[in-house]
Amino acid sequence: MRRPDPPWLPAILARECRLAFRGATFWALAAAGALLAAWRAAIPHASSATAAFRASEAILLGLGVLAIFLAASAAALDRRQSVTQLVLAKPHGSRPSLVLVRFAAVWLSLAALAAIMLAAASLAQVAVGGTAWHLSPYVHALAHTILPIGLAAALGFSLSTIFATPLASAVAAIYWIVIPLTRPHTAVAFDLTLSQHWPMAAFLTAFLLVLTAALYARPIRDRGPGTARLAWTGAILLIAAGAAAYRVAAAGDDALLGPDPVLAAIASQSCRTGPRAPGFWLPDARGRLLALSDYAGRPVVIAFWGPAVSESARYLSALRHLTTGLDSSGITRIAICVDRDPAAMRPFRQDAGPSVVMLWDRGRHFGEGGYWDDSPTAVAYEVTALPTTFILDRRRRLVRTIQGDVSLDRLRAEVTRVLER
Amino acid sequence: MQVEISGLRKVYQGGIIALHGLDLTIPPGIFGLLGPNASGKTTLMRILATLLEPTSGEARVGGYDVRREKAAVRELLGYMPEEFGFYPNLTAYEMLDYLALLCQINDRKERRSRVEQALQRVNLDQVAGQRVGTFSSGMKRRLGIAQAILNNPRVLIMDEPTSGLDPEERVRLRNLLAELAADRVVILSTHIVNDVASIGQRLAILRQGRCLFSGRLSDLLDPLKGRSWIIDIEEQELSRVRQDFEVTGVFRSATGMQVRLLSDTMSHPRGYASEPTLDDAYVALMNRDAGGTDTPREQEADPSETA
Repeated sequence: MRRPDPPWLPAILARECRLAFRGATFWALAAAGALLAAWRAAIPHASSATAAFRASEAILLGLGVLAIFLAASAAALDRRQSVTQLVLAKPHGSRPSLVLVRFAAVWLSLAALAAIMLAAASLAQVAVGGTAWHLSPYVHALAHTILPIGLAAALGFSLSTIFATPLASAVAAIYWIVIPLTRPHTAVAFDLTLSQHWPMAAFLTAFLLVLTAALYARPIRDRGPGTARLAWTGAILLIAAGAAAYRVAAAGDDALLGPDPVLAAIASQSCRTGPRAPGFWLPDARGRLLALSDYAGRPVVIAFWGPAVSESARYLSALRHLTTGLDSSGITRIAICVDRDPAAMRPFRQDAGPSVVMLWDRGRHFGEGGYWDDSPTAVAYEVTALPTTFILDRRRRLVRTIQGDVSLDRLRAEVTRVLER
Repeated sequence: MQVEISGLRKVYQGGIIALHGLDLTIPPGIFGLLGPNASGKTTLMRILATLLEPTSGEARVGGYDVRREKAAVRELLGYMPEEFGFYPNLTAYEMLDYLALLCQINDRKERRSRVEQALQRVNLDQVAGQRVGTFSSGMKRRLGIAQAILNNPRVLIMDEPTSGLDPEERVRLRNLLAELAADRVVILSTHIVNDVASIGQRLAILRQGRCLFSGRLSDLLDPLKGRSWIIDIEEQELSRVRQDFEVTGVFRSATGMQVRLLSDTMSHPRGYASEPTLDDAYVALMNRDAGGTDTPREQEADPSETA
């Protein structure tokens, strides 16, 4: 029998892309997405990192849902246009690789949409932000966007092919919207946009696609008990993967990084106004993201420390006992660890005790060089040495900065003074 | 090259029996599958096209089993389903080019010449660059025929190929099929009797998943020679004639009504002998199978269908 020549798959991929790119829907989405991204990125003095991060946030949430429906629509294209029987009766028509190639075309078109949106964000940054343009944040944002969107697309694509109903993709879309909006553990466990989840996301994507390819050529009305068994196995594996992720997030000691804390921090700080202390949004030891705004209305003590500094244990212990004996217990203590490795703060957890919020301020390097570029919150607070303590009043105004001194008496005296104001 | 079907049975989920152990041998040439709606024609064609798994029994296309050697069967096959569509955003040329790739015609030059040839054969070469979304239903059906002949198939399966075609296109299709049938198997299904009468050398008549007849057209018509009559009647006579004779067709004429019927003798004064047609044979067969209770289907005996 004649075997297919190698050029078959690229030629099919090119044609599948043509199918995906040529529709009016694609360009309408590209235009709408570009406007959205440009609007998110158009803030005065925004750096490339800020613009790319803000645009990628919008792309993830917006394009994620769209990805599910676009992929579902591509999966159902043959059925919707009644081309199924023509295609399946051709020698190559029922090859599983055809499913994978079609998915690749959908993913490529989504990546193209994301690239168009980021390009619009980049133009907006140059035009409105007026700052220097750098490529790397945009490349990073694109990579960070298209991986989870690939999973979203696989969800829509597979569910639509396997269950042959658009309802399946609606379920996937609801998941996509609900998860980021719910807080702590569930969100961290099931939000597959988080970069630390990529192995699981990749596994799920591959699993869904293989399942789809295996089921593709079977006619819907002719699918027997074998198909049902396969689908049930898939569902059970999905639930098991979800449960494992939940366990990792809820009970594991591994640091979960959160969605680019560095870019998040930079983005939030560049938007600050007035004399108030810079806001931040940083992960704790378990990857749960906490924001300064979560403690609105309370006095806050922010302590920058580093595990490499010898006085750190004493400093954290002082922080722990800071409020003992004070009248007001509404005071919040946040210890921000400045280090390359979030695991480095684990041994100090006992010193700080359960009442001190421990956050981590370090991520990938995107700056122009220099030590502090890696710790953007520290940069925003103009920390020049560790440890440094900042005391914020109830209205988030920065009222006291204490550099170097780690004695409990000195800290307590300053805090008492602030509380008496 | 031939198609052999033995004991083929298909039961859909829910217990609907589409084929009751069908036996058929289809030699090269045009083979018509005739039968009313839901007689199992489409199910049979989809099984032959490897799109549906039979429940039991065997079907072989050119010696290859449709269940176990799907890829080999598909290489021999050109299939046009009854209902189909195309990607509306692609042009006719691009659509055929895509399907040609799926037929593993990988060489670009060869693909181009095959696509152009196919478009020319169905008279669509003038609109090759036009998007399929803008095509009329007749043009789409012709494109459907073009995609079926793209890979120069040894076995061509066409489900209701003439529906939606205007008379001129229908004649053109018949000529094309006659040309193609010279050295290959062409199986076409239809519920329009005259489609088969004008092009089918052999045929099978299905009803409710069973084969009522299979063989040459002449084998079907010869036994009716001398039994086929036409009577000119008044309209009020119709019910009496229906009672007395096996009526196979009722037509209106300028003077009143004409009735085609089957009878060993003819006692009616305005009755005269006629050559038996496939209509007569089909209706007679259907009546016999239903125990003679069915009345003939007048809409299928419409003389305008006769080419």
